[in-house]
Amino acid sequence: MSLPTLAAFADEFTPATQTELARFMADNFSTRQRVLYPVGGRTALHFGCPAVEPGVAISTAKLTGVIDYPARDMTVTVEAGIRIETLNELLSHERQRLPIDVPQSHRATLGGIIACNAGGARRFGLGTLRDYIIGISAIDAAGTQFKAGGRVVKNVAGYDLCKLLNGSLGTLGLITQVTLKLRPIPEATRWLWASFASFQEIEAAFDKLLLSATRPIAMEVLDATAAVQIAADARTSLPTDGPVLGLAFEGSAREVAWQIDTLQAELKLLGPRQVVITPDAEADGLWNALTEFEVTAEEPLTFKANVLPSRTMEFMELAAREQISVQAHAGNGIVIGHLPDRVTTAQTAAALLTPLRRFVRQYHGNLCIVNSPEAWKQEIPTWGESEPSWPLMQRLKEQLDPLDLLNRGRFIFPAPVPMDQG
Amino acid sequence: MSVSTPAVPTFGLDVLRRLREIVGAENLLSQREELLVYECDGYTIEKQVPDVVVFPTTTEQVVQIVKLCNEFQLPFIPRGAGTSLAGGSLPVGGGVMIALTRMKQILEVNLRDRFAIVEPGLVNVHLTQRLKGTGYHYAPDPSSQGACTIGGNVATNSGGPHTLKYGVTVNHILGVEAVMPDGSVVTFGGPAEDAPGFDMTGLFVGNEGTFGICTKAWVRLTRDPAAYRTMLGIFETVEAATQTISNIIGAGIVPAALEMMDSGIIEAVEAAFHFGFPLDAGAVVLIEVDGLEVAVDEEARTIIEICNTSGAREVRQANTPKERLLLWKCRKQAFGAIGRLSPSYCTQDGVVPRTKLPEILRLIVESGKRHNLRIVNVFHAGDGNIHPIILFDERDADQVQRVLHASDEILEACIELGGSVTGEHGIGVEKISFMSKLFSEADLATMLKVRLAFNPTGLCSPKKMLPTAGACGTEQQIVKTGVRAAM
Repeated sequence: MSLPTLAAFADEFTPATQTELARFMADNFSTRQRVLYPVGGRTALHFGCPAVEPGVAISTAKLTGVIDYPARDMTVTVEAGIRIETLNELLSHERQRLPIDVPQSHRATLGGIIACNAGGARRFGLGTLRDYIIGISAIDAAGTQFKAGGRVVKNVAGYDLCKLLNGSLGTLGLITQVTLKLRPIPEATRWLWASFASFQEIEAAFDKLLLSATRPIAMEVLDATAAVQIAADARTSLPTDGPVLGLAFEGSAREVAWQIDTLQAELKLLGPRQVVITPDAEADGLWNALTEFEVTAEEPLTFKANVLPSRTMEFMELAAREQISVQAHAGNGIVIGHLPDRVTTAQTAAALLTPLRRFVRQYHGNLCIVNSPEAWKQEIPTWGESEPSWPLMQRLKEQLDPLDLLNRGRFIFPAPVPMDQG
Repeated sequence: MSVSTPAVPTFGLDVLRRLREIVGAENLLSQREELLVYECDGYTIEKQVPDVVVFPTTTEQVVQIVKLCNEFQLPFIPRGAGTSLAGGSLPVGGGVMIALTRMKQILEVNLRDRFAIVEPGLVNVHLTQRLKGTGYHYAPDPSSQGACTIGGNVATNSGGPHTLKYGVTVNHILGVEAVMPDGSVVTFGGPAEDAPGFDMTGLFVGNEGTFGICTKAWVRLTRDPAAYRTMLGIFETVEAATQTISNIIGAGIVPAALEMMDSGIIEAVEAAFHFGFPLDAGAVVLIEVDGLEVAVDEEARTIIEICNTSGAREVRQANTPKERLLLWKCRKQAFGAIGRLSPSYCTQDGVVPRTKLPEILRLIVESGKRHNLRIVNVFHAGDGNIHPIILFDERDADQVQRVLHASDEILEACIELGGSVTGEHGIGVEKISFMSKLFSEADLATMLKVRLAFNPTGLCSPKKMLPTAGACGTEQQIVKTGVRAAM
C-alpha cells in the first residue's frame, strides 16, 4: 500500500475553536484560495481519489468538546473531532451508545466517519449513521458557519442537510459539531455461525429465514478465506469448511438466549455443515474483527460493492471463484472484498473487477474502491460507474463550494485541471 | 399571516387546452366551484384557490405538465391528499396544482429484498393492507394514514405514533423517482443501499415539494413484531406522567409508542367513544412495547413497575388484540372527537427535549388562559413532540387572531426550550416566519443554495419552506433580488 496524498497535505492547520476555523477558511477564500483537505483521525486518507494538488490539511484534532449530554433525552451534542472510542466511553457511563460499527475507533473521529458514512454489520437491525444524526454544524468553503436539524429527536424544520453531509467526503462543508440520537446498550449480544456447502445454499437459507421467528440485528456472510482471517484476528473459532453465515442477536439475556435456541432449530432444516455459537467472552473480539476486516489492508486492493440483497450470494460466489476474500453485510447487500496477493498490477486488478462491476450494475448496484495503490486509481474508477443523479450532485457542489476548494478531485466529481498555485 | 395574491397573470385558454391534451378532460378541473375544494388543506386558516388542478396518471404526464409550466413561466405545486396541517399544499403562488391522487399503484412488493415500489398517490394505509399477512409492514403510520399519501409523506417526512422506536419516513425510504422542476426525471437511491455520491434520497425527503415532484418511491419493509403489550397509565398530573416517561427511557427501554392525552382530550374522547377513562385524571399515557413474545412480558412488567413507583393511579393492560385495537382507536380518533368540543381547531406541532415536557405543557396552559382559549393535548410524548389543539370558531375573526398569537407563543417557547417548531407537520406556509427564529441567516442562505440546485427558477412550490419575499414579512437578504422575487 502506498501512502496516498500525503504530499498534498504538507501544510496543516489545527484550529482550537470552530470560530477560529471559520475565520481561517473565510480568509483563505478571500485571499489565496488554497485547496482544503479536512482530516479527522487519518484513518481514511486512502479513501476516494488521490489529492492532485497541494493544499492545506485541516485537522479537527482540537475540536473535541462535549457540548451537551442530556442522557435522559438520549441525545448528545459534541464537536466533530471527538474520537469514536472517547465518545463510546462517555456514552457507556449512561449505558447508551451510537450503534454504528466503526473501524479503528480509537483513531477515527465522528466528523470523519460521517464524511465517509462508516458502518458495519449492525446496520441490518439498527440502521446507518444517517438514522442517528439529528443536528449538524459545518463551515462552508467561504468560511460561513451553517447548521441544520437541531437537538431534538424529531424535527422537520428546514432541509435535512444532516443527510446531505453524511457521506459527502467533506466536499460540501467541514463538519464541526454534531447532535446524535442514541440507543440503550443491550444486556446481551451473541453470534451464531453456520457453514454451508455453497453460497446458493445460503441464499436458499435466507429465503427460508425471511419469516424466521427471530429478529437478528446482523446478517453476515463470509467466504472461507475471510472466515479464517476474522477468526484468527478475533481469537475465536468460526466454521471454515465452506461459506459461512453469521447472525447476531442483541437484547435482554433472555431474549437473546431464546433466539439462539430458536434459530438453531430453524437452521437444522436448512442443512448447515457446522454450527458454532461464539462464546460470550469472545463476542467483543469478534465484533471488532468483523468491523476491522475492511481496513486490514495488506491486500493489493479493497473494494466495497452494493447490490440487491437477493443477488449478494451470486456476487460473492463470482468473487470467491477468483480467490477474492469477501465479507457481506448480506441483509443489506453490501460486500467488502480484498483482491488476492497474486494481483500485482492495475491491469490484472481491473480485469478481475470487470465481471463484478458488470454484475452489480445489472442489479442496481455499484462498486467502489476503498483502498488501492494510488497509481491504480488512474485505471480503476474509484467511485464506480456514474449514476444519472450525479449531474444534480455536481450542481449542489457548485452551489455550496463554487471554487471547488473542499477535497478537490477526491470525490465523484470529474478531476479538475490543476490551478495555478499563486 | 395573510398571503398576498400571486403576481401571476391568469393564464390563457391555450394553456388550459394544452393541459387538457396532456391529462385528458376528465383529469382537469378549472371551474371556480370545482377548484374551491383545493383552496386549502388540513390547515384551514389560510386559503388560496389554484388556477387549475390537473390529475396526471403517469410520470410522463407529470413531465409534460412541468415542461408546459416552464414554457409559460407558471408556478406549480404538487398535492397529495391535502392532509397537511401546515398549509404544505396551499397554492400560495397560484398556478397549476398537480394532484397525484390518481397515481396510486403499488408497482412491486419484494419481500426478499424488503422493499416495495409505490406511486406517490397511494394512500399510506393501503400499503399496510396490501402487506397484511406477509410478515412485513411499512412502518411509518401517521395518524392520518387512512387518507394521507406516501408521496405526501415523502414530501413532509411524516412521523406518527411509532417513530420513537421505528423512526420517521426518511428512515424508511430507499429511493425516489422525481420530476425535477425543469421537467427532467431523476432517480435517487433505489433498492440497493449506499450508492456512491450524496444521500440525495435523504435530502429529498422533507423538501415539502420545493425540489420537484415525487413520482415513485422505493420504501423499506420492516418485519412485523411478533407480539405487543399495550398499557394505559393513568396519572393525577401531567408532571407525574412525563416523569414516568423519562424513567421508562432511563431504564433503557425504547417502547414502540408513548402517547399522552391530557384531561381536556380525555373528556372529548370519553364523550365520543365511552372507553371508560376516568374523567378526573390529569393525564393518561398509552404505552406500547413490541418485539418477541419472550421479550415483551419482561418489558411490560418493568414498565408497570416504573409507572407504579412514579405515581400512577392505575395501569391498565390490554389483554386481547381487541382490547389493544380499542386503546389505539381512542388515540388515533382523538382528533375526530374534538368536533364535539368546538366548531374549528388548530393542531400545533412543536418539539422539545423529552425532559422539558412538563415545562412546555405548563406554558401551554398559561397561554390558553392568557388568550382565553381552550387548548387540549394529545401527543407523541416519547419524542417530545407536542400537539396542542387549540379550539376556536373560525367565523370569529378575533378568535382566529388569538389562536395565531397563542400558537406563536407556544412555538417560541419550544425554541427557547431547545426544541423545534415542527416535528412532523412541516413548515408549509404556517411556520415560515419561524424559520428565521430557528435558523441563522447563514443557515437559511445555505438551504436556499441547496434549493437553487434543484429549483433554480423557483417555479416549483414557490414561497414554501424558506422565508422569502411576500411570506410573512421575514424577508432575508440572502440572494440576488431577481432570484428572491422568483422564489
